[in-house]
Amino acid sequence: MTAVAAERRAAFRAGQRAIVPSLFGAGAWGLVSGVAMVKGGLAVPWAIMMSLLVYAGSAQLAALPLIVAGAPLWVIVATGLVTNLRFVIYSAALRPYFVEQPARKRAALGFFMTDFTFTLFMRHAQEGKLPGRNRDAWFAGVCTNNWMTWQVSAITGIVAASYVPTDWGLEFTGTLALVALVGPSLVTRPALSGAVVAAVVALLAYHLPFKLGLFCGALAGIVAATLTDSWQQRPPPAPTESA
Amino acid sequence: MNDPVSGIALGVVIVGLALSTFVTRTSFLIAGARLRLSHRVEVALRYAPVCTLAAIIVPDILMHGPNATLDLALLNPRLIGAAATGLWLCWSRNIFGCLATGMAAYSVARLYL
Repeated sequence: MTAVAAERRAAFRAGQRAIVPSLFGAGAWGLVSGVAMVKGGLAVPWAIMMSLLVYAGSAQLAALPLIVAGAPLWVIVATGLVTNLRFVIYSAALRPYFVEQPARKRAALGFFMTDFTFTLFMRHAQEGKLPGRNRDAWFAGVCTNNWMTWQVSAITGIVAASYVPTDWGLEFTGTLALVALVGPSLVTRPALSGAVVAAVVALLAYHLPFKLGLFCGALAGIVAATLTDSWQQRPPPAPTESA
Repeated sequence: MNDPVSGIALGVVIVGLALSTFVTRTSFLIAGARLRLSHRVEVALRYAPVCTLAAIIVPDILMHGPNATLDLALLNPRLIGAAATGLWLCWSRNIFGCLATGMAAYSVARLYL
């Protein structure tokens, strides 16, 4: 019994160590999210509650302007949902590794998964560096350190931001953080075409009620990206002239 | 600036967003093997965040002012700030660098242009 417990604790600690190199990024991201929440217009206690419960920087930043504009609840939640859709793919990818765990534990590990921790887990899996046993404890260690770092820095940002004058324009850091988040994924043609279509449609439909322009834009972009992706998969037509 | 947003309505929004995190992150971990993603759905899910964020970011940069009018001027401070972040992103993934460059360019443009 104690040997088993000791082994699990060792796996947990190994996970905590494995995430250390990317904690700097998680801390920066948390800090910016926190600052943007308050500068965007949320009251401090509610911003802290949002950070603790939602724990998804990109969805929080995406929902923020809608909350401040007083958009209907379903629009805000749907926006958060779409921004979080990538996690559906992540959870499908993680499933085989935790299939023998009880559902409660799978749910807990899933909720604390983020872009950082998922990427780290999959990289260790591909390089064969996951522990043979106690993967759940290892991943729990990874997620614990990531969660603590993000929350401490987000709450620091929330509290500190309330002492900064509004005319510094700090709320724009939220938009810039999203630019930095999206930028690297624009290198593929489907992502780029989807983003361009989404942006143009969102601009054209901007004055629709309930902030629905955002949805029209996102939907049009997803369709454009999916079509571009399927055209790319098709074998190229026989060349009529050599380039 | 208006009063900070707070209150029960915001609490409901927060719970809703928390559910959106929970449902997406735990979806396949809970639902098990019966669910399978078709290729097309997986592709759509993969591009959904990029498209949503583009639909948020671009109007935020280009539409502002009291009447939210389209500002395509090259001297638009938000455009300058976002462009600076984008340029920095081309050679470094460091988020602090991105934000510092973008905020510096935005602030300078806002104050002096």
